[in-house]
Amino acid sequence: MAARVVTVNRDTKPGVYPILVGMGITLKNMVKTMFGRSAATIQFPEQKRNTSGRYRGIHILTQREDGTPKCVACYMCATACPAECIYIEAGERPEATIEKYPTRFEIDLLRCVYCGFCVDACPEEAIFMSRENDLVGTSRAELIIDRDRLMERAKLGEYGPGYRPTDHDVRRPVRIAALERLKQEHGIVPGPPSR
Amino acid sequence: MPKCTIDGRELEVPAGTTVIQAGLMVGIEIPHFCWHPDLPVDGNCRMCLVEIEKMPKLQIACNTVVSDGMVVRTNSEKAVQAHRTTLEFLLVNHPIDCPVCDQAGECYLQDQYMEHGLHDSKVEPEEKVRKRKVVDLGPIMLDAERCVLCSRCLRYEAHVTGTNSFEFVNRGDHTQIATFQNRPIEHNYAGNLADVCPVGALLSHDFRFKMRVWFLEATESVCPGCSTGCNVFIDHRDGEAQRLRPRRNVEVNKSWMCDIGRRQYKEVALDTRVTGARLRSASGWEGTSNATALDLLADRLREAGPASAFLATPQATNEDLLAFRALAERVGGMLDFRVGDPQDKVQVREDNVLLRADRNPNTQGCLVQGLGRAGVAEIVNACAAGGVKALVLEGPELLRRPEAADALGKVPFVAVMATHEEPALDRAHLVFPAAMWAEVDGTFTNYQRRVQRIRRAFRAPGAAAPRWELAAGVLKRLQSPLAASSAREVFTLLAGTVPDFAGLDHRAIGPTGRVLPRRPDEVATQEARA
Repeated sequence: MAARVVTVNRDTKPGVYPILVGMGITLKNMVKTMFGRSAATIQFPEQKRNTSGRYRGIHILTQREDGTPKCVACYMCATACPAECIYIEAGERPEATIEKYPTRFEIDLLRCVYCGFCVDACPEEAIFMSRENDLVGTSRAELIIDRDRLMERAKLGEYGPGYRPTDHDVRRPVRIAALERLKQEHGIVPGPPSR
Repeated sequence: MPKCTIDGRELEVPAGTTVIQAGLMVGIEIPHFCWHPDLPVDGNCRMCLVEIEKMPKLQIACNTVVSDGMVVRTNSEKAVQAHRTTLEFLLVNHPIDCPVCDQAGECYLQDQYMEHGLHDSKVEPEEKVRKRKVVDLGPIMLDAERCVLCSRCLRYEAHVTGTNSFEFVNRGDHTQIATFQNRPIEHNYAGNLADVCPVGALLSHDFRFKMRVWFLEATESVCPGCSTGCNVFIDHRDGEAQRLRPRRNVEVNKSWMCDIGRRQYKEVALDTRVTGARLRSASGWEGTSNATALDLLADRLREAGPASAFLATPQATNEDLLAFRALAERVGGMLDFRVGDPQDKVQVREDNVLLRADRNPNTQGCLVQGLGRAGVAEIVNACAAGGVKALVLEGPELLRRPEAADALGKVPFVAVMATHEEPALDRAHLVFPAAMWAEVDGTFTNYQRRVQRIRRAFRAPGAAAPRWELAAGVLKRLQSPLAASSAREVFTLLAGTVPDFAGLDHRAIGPTGRVLPRRPDEVATQEARA
């Protein structure tokens, strides 16, 4: 197959007109941004972007009434965490109904991928996420935040709470899968045992 | 040999086999709580109900002996319904505190619920304590509320240790397990209670809140605590052993191990481990690399020749011993291992369960390889007389003996392979960092002459190396290298040189070990000693 030859005419010079059209668009947008209300940028940090109530920002550890962590150090969040950014050490509590609490609870915010799985996994509603998303530090170590800093965050309130366990029933996916398996393998649909 | 059919699978079992055991033979696990392979049958949990043709009612699989032509169904509608009903009953009084319970992840109740239950509870969970929780019984923590009253711990105490520490108290749904006046468990086999408990009622104090079990990786190994050689799993995470757990071997330890053995893992992670070679100079200890230290040792041994002595250790693996023996034979010095006479204690029982008086895992291996040659007393005498120019110790046992201190002082060069720092090491001139049992591949020979595999769970700290590698390093520098580059290959050499090991290799040993044949002359001496 023979090659197709295209001759490009480079003789004609571009006139002033297309440039003016382009400048016109720029000018229109400038006026809109300065005097209208359609600006895409915001004046951060004075002004903060409004995020949804399910926004997944930096974590918060909730407290009991006496100020101790609600967390019982069950390691469910650390197990579910895909980034392996949660480090927990457990200690003993005097109450027989609780028994266990975290003596250390650290989240490496630089490793965290903010997926919210820890919130889903928590059986105690002890961890949820805030809407805080501006993370500043001068070293990596500074951004590994410990238990007490995670608990203080509950008081901040500046950004408001983000993703919380109440947003959906976290037990359902596991349970649905298990019920499905039971039905398929044994033909059983659970309910109260029949008599 | 009766033939039976379980879930449509036909099998022939030895007479006296129960249905639950027959099921396990073909990989059918019938749900159970109270049945344990190494404990007498009790049949109280009612979880293992199965349907048997021509029997009007469901039967418990753990206490029904297979008879010829028996047809068993473990997954029929009636049997499955029975499992679900039993589980529901057990869970009515069970606190749902799995998040704080250390058993979570290896709990029969959790597993059975996910497999057979999945019902919605008819009772609301309440934040109320109904039975005794967090009771400290020494090595064991008791939580009576989590108990399913399977009586495994009672039977263990009655039939294995004979101590009868536990008893059921109260009646009806107030029944709970307890020890008399809350006395702590004081015998050496308490850890097994946490293992036999199918739920979180009895838990190990040592492992309490340390780790969730699903993070752990298990490596098959053998306990190095005594000459019994109990089979164990090393449960470890991120290069650190977290606990030891017995691995079932009917011929050696059944499902048990002693608490002294359970604590062996702690030695591995101590911060007193020797992590690098070091050399004594005029100004004190000086760190050096393994290669430099091996160069120096090779030079000293070349100079000393037959005026050298070698002491092996029964703490080492068979592979270590072979390389060490090869080194001693190449140099031509005196060789022995019997510091403290472990060979006399290797068969002596410390109690009537598992523990033996010889706290070395491989004394029998030393004997099989014939390492008892020159006599320790003769070596020490030769040292005292100045006849030993270089002494190589595979372990620090001799350095610890005060009576040998003077003799050791007369030896111009003492090299030792050590795992932990200790004051006795100051009597040596050269210290090599040796890897411990959890960090090496190899084999131990237990008191029965059973060769058992140990496996490397994680890497050794710093420059610590297996002892056979160190010995092989010296051999290489003496121009007679060992024809092996791994523990497996060293074992092949062993099989080629020691007739007792003939035909064996690491793979042939298998998970439960292989007993070495007895030599006729050995049988005679053993009988004479008895």
